[in-house]
Amino acid sequence: MAAPQPRTTPQDDRERFQALVEEHLNGLFGAALRLTRNRTRAEDLLQETFLRAWRSFRTFQPGTNARAWLYKILMNAYIDSYRKTAREPEVVDHDDVDEFYLYTKVQESEDFRRAGNPEEEVLARLMDADVKGALDSLPESFRQVVILSDIEGFSYQEIADILSIPIGTVMSRLHRGRRQLQGKLWEYAKRAHYVNAADSPPARSGPR
Amino acid sequence: MSEIDCEQVLQLVWQFLDGEVEEVRYREIEAHLAECANCEGRVSFERRLRTLIETKCQEGPVPVELKRRLFKFLEG
Ligand SMILES: [Zn+2]
Repeated sequence: MAAPQPRTTPQDDRERFQALVEEHLNGLFGAALRLTRNRTRAEDLLQETFLRAWRSFRTFQPGTNARAWLYKILMNAYIDSYRKTAREPEVVDHDDVDEFYLYTKVQESEDFRRAGNPEEEVLARLMDADVKGALDSLPESFRQVVILSDIEGFSYQEIADILSIPIGTVMSRLHRGRRQLQGKLWEYAKRAHYVNAADSPPARSGPR
Repeated sequence: MSEIDCEQVLQLVWQFLDGEVEEVRYREIEAHLAECANCEGRVSFERRLRTLIETKCQEGPVPVELKRRLFKFLEG
């Protein structure tokens, strides 16, 4: 380190990068798991994200949104990796499903109404695996925006920046993704309800 | 002050819960919800569902071994 008073030394860079990444590493890993649905692939994705971020760290402007910058790198790495292995499933939009699909179904259901507090009942019946399964069942492009919004808590504008798509597209994908998610959750809730209610028909074998 | 009706409220529910409506709109919706049990029931259900989804999809921290391996790249 012969240069006198350089603006930043490699050591400074490393430390700044480490501090910045460390703060978001757990979140990034969680998102990688949700996206890939597989621990090994999630670890690979996190590593790829980490390396890409480090390579482009000099282009990162201090003071700007570090979390969104890192998630953009994560999403790009993810999209690059799944394009190699998978094809986007056909997007089927359930237009009959409205914003309050789950709420409406629960209110209409004799079975759930019998339970006294149907809303309480349906939320209590949904297990971790149901919610994850429902999320995983969404078409890829819907799933990504739902994960970024509902689990990672990004704003519409941040998601638009992360995925490099217009904000209107974010909103429509989020809308359709959530509707499909509710449709799926209703399937799981119904099944769980039948399993648990002694006086109801036996559970049919489900999609999982 | 412009009034907001049930239909308008229900159309904006997700944007409202996402914190993506303007301040004035936000207050109008809140005022409506305070007086309309029907809308309030739906909105609070959506809010709880959102929290449930978020909670159930949380993952544990990054494995220590993986983290160690990543930061080792910086030493090279
Ligand atoms: Zn109302």
